[in-house]
Amino acid sequence: MNLHAIELTTRDGNQLRFECADNQNLLEAAANAHIVLPAQCGQGSCGTCYADVTHGEFTLGKHNPSALSAEDQAKGGTLLCCTFPHSDLNISLPFDNDRILIGEVKIRNAEISAIETVGENTLRLELCLVPDEDGCCLAEFEPGQFMELEVPGLAIKRAYSLSNTGNWEGRLEFLIRLQPGGLFSTWLKEQATVGQTLSVHGPKGAFGLYESGLRPRWFLAGGTGLAPMLSMLRHMADFQEPHPVRLYFGANRVEDLFCQSELKALQVELPQLQVIYCVWKPEDNWEGFQGTPVDALTQDLADAMVMPDIYLCGPPALIDAAEAAARAHGVPDKQVLSERFLPT
Amino acid sequence: MFCYQCEQTDRSNVESGCATAKGMCGKDATTSDLQDLLIHGLEGIAQYAKRARALNVPDNAAGEFMLYGMFTTLTNVNFNPTRFSTLLQEAALVRDRVKASYITAALAADQMPEQLTGSAIWQPAADLDGLLKQAAEVGINAGLENVGPDIIGLRSLVLYGLKGVCAYAHHAYALGRESATVYTGIEDALDFLSSAPTDVDALLNQSMALGTLNLEVMALLDEANTGSFGAQQPTQVLVTPTPGKAILVSGHDLGDLAALLEQTKDTGINIYTHGEMLPAHAYPKLKAYSHLVGNYGGAWQDQQKEFTEFPGAILMTSNCIIEPQPQYRQRIFTAGPVGWPGVRHISDKNFAPLIQAAKALPGFKDAVSEKTITVGFGRDAVLGVADKVIEAVKSGAIRHFFLVGGCDGAASGRNYYTDFAEQAPQDTVIMTLGCAKYRFNQHDFGDIGGIPRLLDLGQCNDSYSAIKIATALAEAFECGVNELPLSLVVSWFEQKAAAVLLTLLALGIRNVRLGPTLPAFLTPNLVQVLVDKFGLLPNTTAQADIEASLSRKAA
Repeated sequence: MNLHAIELTTRDGNQLRFECADNQNLLEAAANAHIVLPAQCGQGSCGTCYADVTHGEFTLGKHNPSALSAEDQAKGGTLLCCTFPHSDLNISLPFDNDRILIGEVKIRNAEISAIETVGENTLRLELCLVPDEDGCCLAEFEPGQFMELEVPGLAIKRAYSLSNTGNWEGRLEFLIRLQPGGLFSTWLKEQATVGQTLSVHGPKGAFGLYESGLRPRWFLAGGTGLAPMLSMLRHMADFQEPHPVRLYFGANRVEDLFCQSELKALQVELPQLQVIYCVWKPEDNWEGFQGTPVDALTQDLADAMVMPDIYLCGPPALIDAAEAAARAHGVPDKQVLSERFLPT
Repeated sequence: MFCYQCEQTDRSNVESGCATAKGMCGKDATTSDLQDLLIHGLEGIAQYAKRARALNVPDNAAGEFMLYGMFTTLTNVNFNPTRFSTLLQEAALVRDRVKASYITAALAADQMPEQLTGSAIWQPAADLDGLLKQAAEVGINAGLENVGPDIIGLRSLVLYGLKGVCAYAHHAYALGRESATVYTGIEDALDFLSSAPTDVDALLNQSMALGTLNLEVMALLDEANTGSFGAQQPTQVLVTPTPGKAILVSGHDLGDLAALLEQTKDTGINIYTHGEMLPAHAYPKLKAYSHLVGNYGGAWQDQQKEFTEFPGAILMTSNCIIEPQPQYRQRIFTAGPVGWPGVRHISDKNFAPLIQAAKALPGFKDAVSEKTITVGFGRDAVLGVADKVIEAVKSGAIRHFFLVGGCDGAASGRNYYTDFAEQAPQDTVIMTLGCAKYRFNQHDFGDIGGIPRLLDLGQCNDSYSAIKIATALAEAFECGVNELPLSLVVSWFEQKAAAVLLTLLALGIRNVRLGPTLPAFLTPNLVQVLVDKFGLLPNTTAQADIEASLSRKAA
């Protein structure tokens, strides 16, 4: 067994070092060194632990091709949870140092405080952290992060993005699309009731706002990909951030859209927010944009004076298409940030 | 980016300075470049403000904007590129306002308005990429190939000294004190810098003018502090925690602390001072609040560990913030000129969210055995016992005074100050100020005939007290400050220390020991000038420097 020196450089220039044996994946080795990197499934399925190897040799183990595009792989992109080093490695991380936890991921109990249908097959789930031994229930997370929810006794853990912002009352809000036949979905639909207790793991995840001065921010969400966008927009409203900002929110049918009243309320607090609802197959009387959010993005990028920072969240096909559109219009890769919703 | 304004600047290359994606302080290249451009924008305001003031249409609001803008560019103050993008647009608007009133006043006085150039006609680019292109033209190294490193170093000395002056003046302003003389001096210095000066004597003269101006600013600040909260009194401060909910207040802004104390009285939340806020315990009107319970932690460079462990909410009122760790990002708040992306900022002294956070956090649970230190030897306290002190010197009980103070930092060379204080002979008195004191302020130094051997004068902002004490002693002994049995051992880190150094030099105080390393912006030629002209002494070892000081060899 050989030990290799691994050097990580965060987007904001911080460096961290640890050692990794050649039969060990990088995510695990980092965790052994008490460096908890943003990750979720740990088995090459979700793409959360994406990073770029800038120097050194490695093997990329079995993974889901939707979680790592061929284009990214060609330029050194990898998934840390299935990367095994053959040499010392230099790795560039696509997020800031503040997303790296030194220590351990928190596990807390939370009670269901509300379950509400907000659209067809979409629920809003609100949890309230159970006070810890000190009587505290802080909900500490960064906008864009997710938590893993675990139903006691069911041995199912599912990751969902938070749609609210950090607070001191212990409130956690999620937007959840019910997957036909999904274990968690079925439990949520048929058994979950207010007052039941879940355990929550996290916060986790690297997706979030990127501070780059006053560059416009364009958020593009498909379905419940809206959740992290809501969190970031609410953060912007809370902090009165002045960036020009727009949200492309896409759904297949008008009745699949949700959270319109929340978005309207946000526009009061964040007056520069433009919301573009994109419906792929609308009824005849639809007055909004007809097409996918990527169609709308492509159209607007053609007229853009300044290349915006683009935030993407939704199914992989949507993200791949949006990334391709952004590249075609000359938006630098570092200005495109994404979170893929993949089944795990 | 290129930045070498602080002591910890990257010295791993032949040319010292932080020039990669991120500086040693954690400031990223974008923020650093925008700060350079903001200074350019402030120079543009000053060009008009100076001329407007000369025509009796001063714009003190523009002056305050310059103080604030300069303060945001100090080391460990504001790291938020969004904030700088906004400030740049504001700077152009302020400049246009001052320009308009200047032109109106000039025409009213039958004068042809001057056609100003450079920073006076700068227009901020509409987007970040454009701003960064503009910044590339105006950094501290602009013109290096034409004027050489000595001139760039002297311009840096002026600029960084000026930043310190502005920070102190902003602290005074925050407590309602401002002065036309101070604004005039700041406008003059920025206008001078905007002319890209190349004359060595003119640059040195400007540095000394800033030193003199800074004395006035520190007097203003001293008056602001003592006028608002009373003169410091020797006070025992608890340095161990008290059970209960807790808020930690760091930085230098006593006004923010006072507002928070008022808003938290009767809430059951205990308030702790951190770092440079320690001297607050000595001010009568602040210590009157019984829930200002104690001091927590050490100097700024230990904050990531200490804030992680602190079981309450945290408020950072001025420098020195370093990257907030995930463990406490949700419970640290900034105020005044301070900023960090994604960290909550309170701009209106309404600390309700901070208080809410503190209530939701556990606070300290267990009682521990109490430990205290003594602070509060401002000039009134020391000069109040001047007779006793003078008598002790005359009798030989006190052989020498050392002023060991300034900023602290993480560099290992800073152990020098611990060694210096602890190795100073028993018949010497150590005065200290700034956060460098945390290296030795829990050490038991004893006393000389009832006079404590360690006298804590306060914040670095209280350097004025030190100068007043030295001047008063010199009067009592009918000699100059340089003839007193007093040695100044100054530890510097950031730009306020540069301003204080200029004040000492402008006052003709010689043989100041400066460390732990000399500023990277001082070239060997400039160091030689400061050594020759002002007797500036680089550190050697603590023991050798103590011996040299006691033998009172004039340099």
